[in-house]
Amino acid sequence: MRGTLRWARADLRACRSQALLTIGVVAGVVAALVLATMLLQGAVNPWQQLFARTHGADALIYFQNGTDTSSLTNVPGVRQAGQPYQAASATLEQGPVQSPVELRGMTPVPPTMSTPLIVAGTWLRSSAPDGAVLEASFAAAVHVGVGARILVDGIDGTSVSMQVIGIADTADQGFYPQWTPGLIWVQHGLLAKVEPHQSETEEVVGLRLYDASAVATGQVVQAIWNFYNGPDENSAVLRYSTWQQVQDSMASNDRLLGLLLGLFGVIALVAAPCAIANVTAGRVLMQRQDIAMLKALGFTPGQVVGMLLAEQTVLGAAGAGLGLVAARFMTSSVFVRPPDGTPVGLAPLSGSWVALIGGGTVLTVAIATIIPAWLAGRVSPVAAVQPSPPRGHLSLIARLGLLVHLPPALVLGARDSLTRRLPAALTVVGLAIPMAMITIALTCWATIDGFTRHPGRIGLAAAITVSPGGGLDALKTLNLISHDGQVLSYYPGAEFDTLLPGDNGTFIARAMGSSSRPYPFQAVQGQMFSAANEAVAGQGFLTQMHIGVGAWISPTIDGIPVILHIVGRTIEPDNNGDVLDFGLDALREAGGAGPQLMYALVLKPGVAPAAARATLLHASHNELDVQVVANPADGLGVVKVVIAVAVVVLGVMALANLLTAAAVGLRDHLHEVGVLKALGLTPRQVTATLVVNTTILTAIGVASGMVAGLLIAPRLINMQGRTSGIGSGIAASLSPVTVIEILAAALAIAVAAALFLARRTTRISDSAHLRSPARPSQLRPHASSLRNPQ
Amino acid sequence: MRRSEPRWPGVGDTPALLRARKLVKVYRADGVEVEALRGVDLELAIGEFVAIMGPSGSGKSTLLHVLGGLAPATSGEIWLRGQRVDGLSTAGWAILRRRHIGFVFQFFNLLSNMTVADNVELPALLAGANPRQARRRREELLAELGIADKAGAAPARLSGGEQQRVALARALANEPSLLLADEPTGNLDSSNTRDVLRLLRRVHAGGQAILMVTHDARVASLADRVINLFDGMVADDAAIVPIPRGLNGVRDVLELRG
Amino acid sequence: MRQPLLALLAKEPAHGYELKLALEQTFGQAYPSPNIGQIYVTLKRLEQDGLVCSQDVEQTTRPNKRVYELTSAGREALRAWVEEPSDGPRIRDEFFIKLILAPMAGLADRIALMNAQRRHYLSLMRKLTDLQADADRADAPARLLIEGAVLHLQADLDWLERCQEELV
Repeated sequence: MRGTLRWARADLRACRSQALLTIGVVAGVVAALVLATMLLQGAVNPWQQLFARTHGADALIYFQNGTDTSSLTNVPGVRQAGQPYQAASATLEQGPVQSPVELRGMTPVPPTMSTPLIVAGTWLRSSAPDGAVLEASFAAAVHVGVGARILVDGIDGTSVSMQVIGIADTADQGFYPQWTPGLIWVQHGLLAKVEPHQSETEEVVGLRLYDASAVATGQVVQAIWNFYNGPDENSAVLRYSTWQQVQDSMASNDRLLGLLLGLFGVIALVAAPCAIANVTAGRVLMQRQDIAMLKALGFTPGQVVGMLLAEQTVLGAAGAGLGLVAARFMTSSVFVRPPDGTPVGLAPLSGSWVALIGGGTVLTVAIATIIPAWLAGRVSPVAAVQPSPPRGHLSLIARLGLLVHLPPALVLGARDSLTRRLPAALTVVGLAIPMAMITIALTCWATIDGFTRHPGRIGLAAAITVSPGGGLDALKTLNLISHDGQVLSYYPGAEFDTLLPGDNGTFIARAMGSSSRPYPFQAVQGQMFSAANEAVAGQGFLTQMHIGVGAWISPTIDGIPVILHIVGRTIEPDNNGDVLDFGLDALREAGGAGPQLMYALVLKPGVAPAAARATLLHASHNELDVQVVANPADGLGVVKVVIAVAVVVLGVMALANLLTAAAVGLRDHLHEVGVLKALGLTPRQVTATLVVNTTILTAIGVASGMVAGLLIAPRLINMQGRTSGIGSGIAASLSPVTVIEILAAALAIAVAAALFLARRTTRISDSAHLRSPARPSQLRPHASSLRNPQ
Repeated sequence: MRRSEPRWPGVGDTPALLRARKLVKVYRADGVEVEALRGVDLELAIGEFVAIMGPSGSGKSTLLHVLGGLAPATSGEIWLRGQRVDGLSTAGWAILRRRHIGFVFQFFNLLSNMTVADNVELPALLAGANPRQARRRREELLAELGIADKAGAAPARLSGGEQQRVALARALANEPSLLLADEPTGNLDSSNTRDVLRLLRRVHAGGQAILMVTHDARVASLADRVINLFDGMVADDAAIVPIPRGLNGVRDVLELRG
Repeated sequence: MRQPLLALLAKEPAHGYELKLALEQTFGQAYPSPNIGQIYVTLKRLEQDGLVCSQDVEQTTRPNKRVYELTSAGREALRAWVEEPSDGPRIRDEFFIKLILAPMAGLADRIALMNAQRRHYLSLMRKLTDLQADADRADAPARLLIEGAVLHLQADLDWLERCQEELV
């Protein structure tokens, strides 16, 4: 035991850089996993964290003003009742746009139950009596930031100006606009200004229950209802909301996001053991000589295996700890939360997740060490005394190469790179896997970028939609649109929520343009519709209906039965692809009255949607309802962050594997250095030989990895697309320029690393090598070898 | 397997520390079978110094490796301290080497990433001594071998002779019954060889049993017995008969030259 | 004995006893102890050959001593001896003859012959190493002489090994 400890300690001290490499790789993997899990959780189920962090209420009850709520705690099942807050209905005025708002009266001291989580600005201050704190999703939807002045109208029309001093998250209600009204917290004085009539206000009370299950919550609410509501129509309880409703509302509908994030989790799980195994195996290979000596000394094979396992596991544990700490620090930065794009802080992972990731990684390290360690245990102690000669002879090809005066460095370097099979395989695989994954990650990035840059491909050719409103009728609206210099073309259209057959849910039936002049959808399968009874559908719709392209369907749209022939499939980001597109004339032919039309505007290239929107608003004196079309790329911003992190971590892994490969290769050639010099190769040629040897293997690894990645990535991404309903065909490919750039960069780094290590090797004096078989684990030059008198 | 007699069986009265009978070692190289040892018999008594000489390819190193358990014998018996050891597993041999056998090789004797002190203390720690005991033994040995000042150095910084001295210290750390040495002076120049010779003499005088393969006659002449190996078999096995010293000391040498 | 005396006289003239002292001091243990009688006989022979000449020197309290001096012919002979390279070692032809012929005559088995010779060499080597161990550090000639013998003996043993390889 002591012997093994002593050796392990000395070994770690001697090969400090390699130990640090292992720790670094593991730390990177752990940090990446923690981050990915946090993002995944935050993206797919934001409610859970919010509820925990804000000490949310299990239920919110709205009472009529003046109700005595002190006896709420007596209701069976109620653990705690919060302080009642005053709430008033109001409207946010922004030109033609009016948003329903609930004002809630608070004090500068934040409440203890349902504490709003400030993400920007500050909470209410007594020094700012007209200050307002907006709920985060509402603020994003109405494009209001900290410092803006807003106009809030009371029911009776009183207009009060407020200054936004903060934005906060809450678990009290779902995201706006799925959940209305939007929530604004103000001080009591300000609320009184908006709604001077006390009787028009409500009282809101938050409740904490003993049993928060759906059934129990319902029972408690029922009990409260019975308690407070008398036999007459005048009920004290106006309305209520439960945490289940809030959670459902907040849950992301975006399946693609969840799938993509899951994909990266899988990548991490695959890449991590590979990287770790590679670094470990490389280390064991380099320790072969010493291991043979240890066995000659009297270490049993079991001790050798146990020693290596213990050593690597300790390093893995240190790395995991470091990674967890690093991840903690990183969570203080800000990430984007879909679907509204509001910046929020991420909640730290629960202890069980942390333990799972940390423990799982250490376990992976241990398992990844087992095979190399077992191989080390089988090293014969005779290897201690007999230096193994380089296997492989000068092949015919090599001889030919030398014959035609190829640079000897090239030939000698190439000859030996493939004759040692295990280290060669290790290098190639260790580089191919991270490179393949980097390629997949970059293809994802390109795909998401493609959404933004070529929205036409995903059916979002129109950047803004205009609905007539206010005092403008359709004619005036058309006039404004057609005379706007920024508009390239416009298409009239209408959307209907239509029931699926069998009442299993709804899909969106969208009439856009006409069959003679259809909206520029792009059919990725089949063809675009060109007749009144033709349509194209999204993948989600086809999957839901269990049909394929070419099927005939007869839905009832807006009360009109229509018969449609699905001739093609488009990429449909809306509603998870559950959309059917056809021309307006299909409805007219079926006998429908003209529906309320909106117009989809395709802007001229180079025109920013926000600018076009502002122009139209100005031109219409804020009478038009102009909306910018949401691009799924907006909600996938978090995936981009994950991709960036993943590429960095994978790059670190690849570099670690590269360094290991270079070190292993150099070790094998250490004893050849002296011989090569004696043969007449200049030091520069010797260095070149060593560099060529390493570079060939890394080049093979990098190239094969990229090829594999380029082949796999589109299939993977399209698979995600198909499963999420958007549709297969979303995958963009990396441009050849990018591919070449990456290859060149990887090769440059490989050559640089090999060069750096090789330089140190060739500086060792040749006599040291010629006198005795080299000491292979030393890569540092030592001047004392010159002291040995000969 | 213990024998019934309390003493180990041996030649005549002297108990045999090491005994080998009909050792055969065949190994495969590039598809060809090579008979390195073809039935070797050998005995070594406690405190005896035996040198093994012979031309290259005669199987000297193989014999040493087999006797030390570094490589398994193809057939034959090996008895160490009265116990049959040729059938031991790798782990069993490792434990045996730990306690009873010290090894010194021609190259690669020292662990490159440990200091001299650590190298010498490792066998003691491995055998179960506590760090203080190990350190004391190490200080003793290094002082005796004249390299106490190099205790903290890395092996790379030592000359060949110093490294072999450290290797010797390491091999003797656990006071092994048997010291196996394979061409320990093969890699040294004459002055370093003299140093190692002096140490071997001292160690042998202290009662250490040594079995050494060497081609250097000076080293072999220190031995009690010399075994000559030829083509995998013992060609000669005889004690060195010391020539009585003449009165003239060095002047005899001139006469010896004839 | 002739050459050492000539060489010593080249440095300065001396008489017999001085030469004996000089020999002892220069070679120390390495040279067999010179016999004064042997020195005088050699000096006389050298004088007869014309390489040295002698002179009687008067001494007050002691009998006359004879001082010897190098002649030009002697100097020339010395120079010729110094410049000519000495003969190299020769194989022990006695053993060689035995090895080749004895088995033919059925007198002995080659292996037994070689074993016997080798044992003898090893015994000699033991003696040399013992001498080396006891040698005075300061006595460089003695040490060098022993080392020369050791190396020669090692060469003989290596040659014996070669014979074993070739003839068996």
